[in-house]
Amino acid sequence: MAHAAQVGLQDATSPIMEELITFHDHALMIIFLICFLVLYALFLTLTTKLTNTNISDAQEMETVWTILPAIILVLIALPSLRILYMTDEVNDPSLTIKSIGHQWYWTYEYTDYGGLIFNSYMLPPLFLEPGDLRLLDVDNRVVLPIEAPIRMMITSQDVLHSWAVPTLGLKTDAIPGRLNQTTFTATRPGVYYGQCSEICGANHSFMPIVLELIPLKIFEMGPVFTL
Amino acid sequence: AAPPEPGEPEERKSLKLLGFLDVENTPCARHSILYGSLGSVVAGFGHFLFTSRIRRSCDVGVGGFILVTLGCWFHCRYNYAKQRIQERIAREEIKKKILYEGTHLDPERKHNGSSSN
Repeated sequence: MAHAAQVGLQDATSPIMEELITFHDHALMIIFLICFLVLYALFLTLTTKLTNTNISDAQEMETVWTILPAIILVLIALPSLRILYMTDEVNDPSLTIKSIGHQWYWTYEYTDYGGLIFNSYMLPPLFLEPGDLRLLDVDNRVVLPIEAPIRMMITSQDVLHSWAVPTLGLKTDAIPGRLNQTTFTATRPGVYYGQCSEICGANHSFMPIVLELIPLKIFEMGPVFTL
Repeated sequence: AAPPEPGEPEERKSLKLLGFLDVENTPCARHSILYGSLGSVVAGFGHFLFTSRIRRSCDVGVGGFILVTLGCWFHCRYNYAKQRIQERIAREEIKKKILYEGTHLDPERKHNGSSSN
């Protein structure tokens, strides 16, 4: 879960998120060097007498400032594309869950478990107990096993929504009439939070996503639902 | 600042360059910046010793910093990525070993069986 004043990414709970954090660090280092160069150029501009008005062309400089950004873009684009294709891979999932967005709650279908279907509503502040998280906790959590590839099928029944869990590196649009899929393998047990990430109406902020990730052994003994 | 409450994660020590690059917690960042600084001093001072041009030596120093930092960063990150892949493969193999040891799916048993035939 993110802290109140958190700026950076959350800790990774899936291999994809680890890759995304690695790429984020890589991009930040390149951004740092660009900022450093721009600050130096600004400093020079401010401390130099701008009296040389005879420059009509500077071929070398123009070549450098055309080729350099092209190289920088390639250095960012290649690792980015690698991760993009990694996120699209579907490797024989052990479990498929369908998630349907509504105004303003999520419905989950465990199609592999006899068609178990339930709704997941945000807990209103009056129903919160000590330790519950305001605007984040739900009445029915999605219980899933760790260390197993899971496929999420995501759609919507009314308007655009987006099913997102930052710590797993997941964000998939829920689009009416279209079934999107995403896969993930969680590496750590715990309770993880996400929120709808596409403006979907008045209560957009009040349809959180809560995943309870438990070891496969416990999951196989019977899904633990807080119904 | 108020002490952290029980259950609240401890604040991690961090040094952020230009307010965003976390040098303490980003693998390879510290090495790259330090080597870049050294490269900057060597390139800038070396250029000054040969040409005695102060302004141009500063430019060379900044260029040296950027190039050496980038070079070190790519080298270190490449090795880091390779190490992470090896770690992941090892983890998977250990998991498989634990899962299949003693069963007919054990790769070692299969191997031994085929070699004895």
